Amino acid sequence: MFKMFDAPVPGENFTSDTRNYPWHRPPEIVEYDDGVDYLLEKLSDPEQAELTYSMLEINLPIVTVVSAMLMQGISKGKFPIDLAVLMAGPVARYIQIIAKNNGIKHELGIEDKNRTPITPTSLKMALGIYEDAEDDTVEVEEPPVAAEGFMSPPDAAVEGDPASEEEQAAMLGQVEENEEDML
Amino acid sequence: MKFEEAIVKSIKNFMDGNMPTSTGKTSERGEIFYTPDYFDAYEEALEEGDFEEEEVEEDV
Repeated sequence: MFKMFDAPVPGENFTSDTRNYPWHRPPEIVEYDDGVDYLLEKLSDPEQAELTYSMLEINLPIVTVVSAMLMQGISKGKFPIDLAVLMAGPVARYIQIIAKNNGIKHELGIEDKNRTPITPTSLKMALGIYEDAEDDTVEVEEPPVAAEGFMSPPDAAVEGDPASEEEQAAMLGQVEENEEDML
Repeated sequence: MKFEEAIVKSIKNFMDGNMPTSTGKTSERGEIFYTPDYFDAYEEALEEGDFEEEEVEEDV
């Protein structure tokens, strides 16, 4: 019953201070070049550089690193979101250059992962070109494996050939005996 | 579109040589400084090893 009243009072949002969060205030940087300058300078800071290139070393793509940097800047109220999106390109390019120059393994991460790469084999398949590949494989006969379980079927190679049908019938008592012999 | 998707799109565009030219017109210089050409030149200079950072003159 009381849960229905457990909600904000209409208009309560107007009572909070709109300057509570940095992104509620006007951003510090609004110029494109100033923003890129700020981020490149930040990247030249040893601590930030260590963090950034360590992230690349653990196979994180540059896109992820750039996104994290930009999100941090937005949350601190340094620059607006739309400017952050515009600045992503130069920052990614800068990180790529530095990583390449220092021999750090890196991946840009903008490739479409759903795209199937075109290979000579896939192209031949698409065009319907089939080549008879030479069969160079040599068949190797595997040695017989002995039956291991108590209930496993007898192995012919180990136990010998199965009994003929007549022998099996005799063993089951299905052979008709001659009446003469009986007498 | 998510933020990450916008970032990917932006990076792709920059790598293809596209620039926010209208944004550049609104700046004080009237053009953008950090262009793809700037970074290409920067990369070349780094490879050749003759890159020197611009020294900023400080007022004493």
